[in-house]
Amino acid sequence: MSYSRPQLKLLLVLAAVLLAGLGVREWRAGFPNAAERLERFDREDPPPPIPPAPRVRVAPRWAAPRPEPTASARLVQPQRPRASAAPPIPSADPRPLDLNRASADEISRLPGVGPSLARRIIEERDRRGRFESPDGLRGILGMGPKKLAALREYVTVGE
Amino acid sequence: MTGHEAPLLPLSGAFALGIFAGAWSGAAPARLLLAGILLLAVGVCALALRRDGAAVAVLLALAVVLGALRAATDPLPADHIARAALAPVVNVEGRLAEEPVRWAPDRTRLILDVDGLVDGEDRRPASGRLQVTLYGETPAVGEGQRVAVGLKLSRPRGFRNPDAFDYPAFLRREGILLVGTGRAESLLPLTADEPPWPVRVKRWAVTTIGAHLPEISAALLAGLILGEKTGLPRETEEAFRRAGVYHILAVSGFNVALLASSVFFVLAALSVPRRTTAVAAGAALVGFALVVGGQASVLRATVMGLVLLAATLLDRESQLMNALALGALLLLAWRPADLWDPGFQLSFAATAGIIYLTPAITSWLEGRRWPRWLATAVAVSVGAQAAVAPVMLAHFNQLSLISVVANLVVVPLAAAGTTLGMLALVVALANAVAADVLFQALWLVLLALRAAVWAAAAVPAAMVHLPAPVWAATVAWFGALMLVPVLGTRRWARVTVTACLVAALALFIWPWVRPGDGRLRVTFLDVGQGDAVLVELPEGPRLLVDGGPGGARRLDVGERVLAPFLWNRPAGRVDVVAVTHSDSDHSGGLRAVLTRFRVGEVWENGRWGPGSEDTLRAVERSGACRRTLVSGQRIWLGSALLTVLSPDGTLPIDEPAPMGENEESLVFRLDWRGFSLLLTGDLGRPGEERLLASRAPVRALALKVGHHGSRFSSGEEFLAATRAAIAVISVGARSPFGHPTAEALARLEAAGARIYRTDRDGAVIFETDGATLSITRWASGVVERFDLDPERET
Repeated sequence: MSYSRPQLKLLLVLAAVLLAGLGVREWRAGFPNAAERLERFDREDPPPPIPPAPRVRVAPRWAAPRPEPTASARLVQPQRPRASAAPPIPSADPRPLDLNRASADEISRLPGVGPSLARRIIEERDRRGRFESPDGLRGILGMGPKKLAALREYVTVGE
Repeated sequence: MTGHEAPLLPLSGAFALGIFAGAWSGAAPARLLLAGILLLAVGVCALALRRDGAAVAVLLALAVVLGALRAATDPLPADHIARAALAPVVNVEGRLAEEPVRWAPDRTRLILDVDGLVDGEDRRPASGRLQVTLYGETPAVGEGQRVAVGLKLSRPRGFRNPDAFDYPAFLRREGILLVGTGRAESLLPLTADEPPWPVRVKRWAVTTIGAHLPEISAALLAGLILGEKTGLPRETEEAFRRAGVYHILAVSGFNVALLASSVFFVLAALSVPRRTTAVAAGAALVGFALVVGGQASVLRATVMGLVLLAATLLDRESQLMNALALGALLLLAWRPADLWDPGFQLSFAATAGIIYLTPAITSWLEGRRWPRWLATAVAVSVGAQAAVAPVMLAHFNQLSLISVVANLVVVPLAAAGTTLGMLALVVALANAVAADVLFQALWLVLLALRAAVWAAAAVPAAMVHLPAPVWAATVAWFGALMLVPVLGTRRWARVTVTACLVAALALFIWPWVRPGDGRLRVTFLDVGQGDAVLVELPEGPRLLVDGGPGGARRLDVGERVLAPFLWNRPAGRVDVVAVTHSDSDHSGGLRAVLTRFRVGEVWENGRWGPGSEDTLRAVERSGACRRTLVSGQRIWLGSALLTVLSPDGTLPIDEPAPMGENEESLVFRLDWRGFSLLLTGDLGRPGEERLLASRAPVRALALKVGHHGSRFSSGEEFLAATRAAIAVISVGARSPFGHPTAEALARLEAAGARIYRTDRDGAVIFETDGATLSITRWASGVVERFDLDPERET
């Protein structure tokens, strides 16, 4: 055979390419889903959409009754009953847990609270001295508004 | 390399210098002409007196003058559209200068060479180039087609912030003085879509690739062969940047060399004579350049390729550096404004770096017993990177640390992919089935390429972002590079190189180590329609309140404005990002900030509405500590006290806001020494009334006006309660909502506030030491000073 070396190289590469191409063609025809997954290996799925809030009917703005500000209310916390004035809370536990006295172990038995969140609550209490109200839990890492709402009936704050 | 080996190098350098100096000084052409004639006379005398040295100096000076003459702008022709007195909507006729770019489903960008203005029955000729954005479903039109369209014309506007990209100047260099917007329905094709053959070839190539390969791989191949990047997903493009191999997506010497050597190799294997081969390769190069279009890198590579081929034809030895200099000279003579184009700078810097540094680095590596192939590959990569690093930092603040390694793997794969792709396209002309077999083999190569890029980009710290270097640092760096080839032979060279490197490094890290000036800085950034406020405390903490508009299918302010601004501060870290609410003009740009910077905490109102999915996901992935704020909280940030005034926490986060989401905006005040600032997000009247009713401490020296100056914000009672002396409105020019409204402005004025607006003033910058406050309007550079002495405030 009288092929020169460059010719031989070129032809060999071409043969390899053709073989590979035919192989991939077969494989893609047989497993289209796998090929599709492989093609998208470096793409990430778009995040799940946040559903739009349902439209609410609003009473006329100016008709909404507004609570009179009390004399001491400078920058008040949300109007929640203070623990001292709280009505008795119906609950399985006869007495709500006093956040200012409870140990980490007791706090971690509250619904939705694990040992690490309990530790953070204790740390926050040590930092502040005491909790003025259960709202003081807000802002602790891992304490979302929903969890706080669920906890509210199980906790109180003592002097 | 001396002037003897590359005689064109000093000439093209002098010419470039002349262009730069001419544009900078704006010297009158008449004077330049006079200077040129004088120089010519001196040169002739020097030659006659056999003073060759002086003649060379005069020649170089003449090149500088010619460059300055070339850079001098011609006066606009009388019928230029920028001179015409324009109605609000004008009907324009013109020819499409480029293929339309559809950058979002309902937005198309056209470049239009205007030839006439139509006013009713009346048509008068006009000239000039327009950049047009059309909204809606654009009919299929193509390059070269004549169209008529109704447009609103205006001067281009960029975001006017410190260290920002000057968009109007960029457009001016492209010859565009006006931009237009219009409805896609008003576009009327006047001629059939019969583009010139290069456009047809390109379209056919893109369609053919798309028919044989799945979507992303097809987009990648179109980028590799034709530099056509529109179909490439953003993450993929970003991965190429991070890996430092973005250059393979631009058509450059790489493609040209592959094309020429493929033609050479195949024809040589077929025993075609050498000269015929050179001519065929030259023809292929010219055809290729016409098809892929006129970016600087393509033209540079084509000129160099043709010079080298001509050298082969004439049996002359070719000097790469000389060919490069010729490329620069021709390109700059044709399009002098390209000197400022990052593509031009990168292309020439990389090529010069490879030519100049590779031999020295290769021999050094071979001296350490590296195999020859590896030494060459590493030397090419290092040489190019060393030369482009300052350019990349100056334009993009990017430095890819992985790129030297990544290029070793990616470049061979890209070469295989490009060669095979061109072969497959040629085969596709003859037989679709055979081409499909080739494309399937190519798919494997493309997947391997993507995997390599993806892996390189996933390495932590693959790319670092640093501030743009100052001039002196760049000069010192290039000075050091110049001496690299003589390092091994001269002792003084080693000393000088070390000195240059130390100087470059010292100048470069100075911004980090510079001692603080003990001032609080608040920057209201110009982000168009939206809010973005950066608070920098003298102790170092940074608080970013909102991130301007952004998102996948629109101009992302986070990427374009916030990131470069922060990189140039220099800031690798943003301690707190506060999201007043999740509307896209406040939270959209934050995705880019959260993915590019270390963020310590994210403060939010806990309510994420539809459209903010990407930002929320970025928040979740950033690892930042999230805090949902409610009124009454006080937070120390450095020596500043932040007091949260809203929301009041009575509305559960999963319930819809009865007054609208804007009323649940995070509102807080910042107090630092004698300075106080109230940031109100998009709060409207009901929220303001709620604040007043709760007797929240709203009184402040400066007020970020609620909701971009909407008429449903900033009520009289609220303004009276804040008693703000300074009001800042963050709003875009030509706001689609008509912000700021005349009503809000009138109320602010009646309340006695001094008004600053980002749409007119660009970025508004507060700087205070507690006793005095200086406010800069960035666009005009006007600085006003105020005394904050509390005694005098009443």
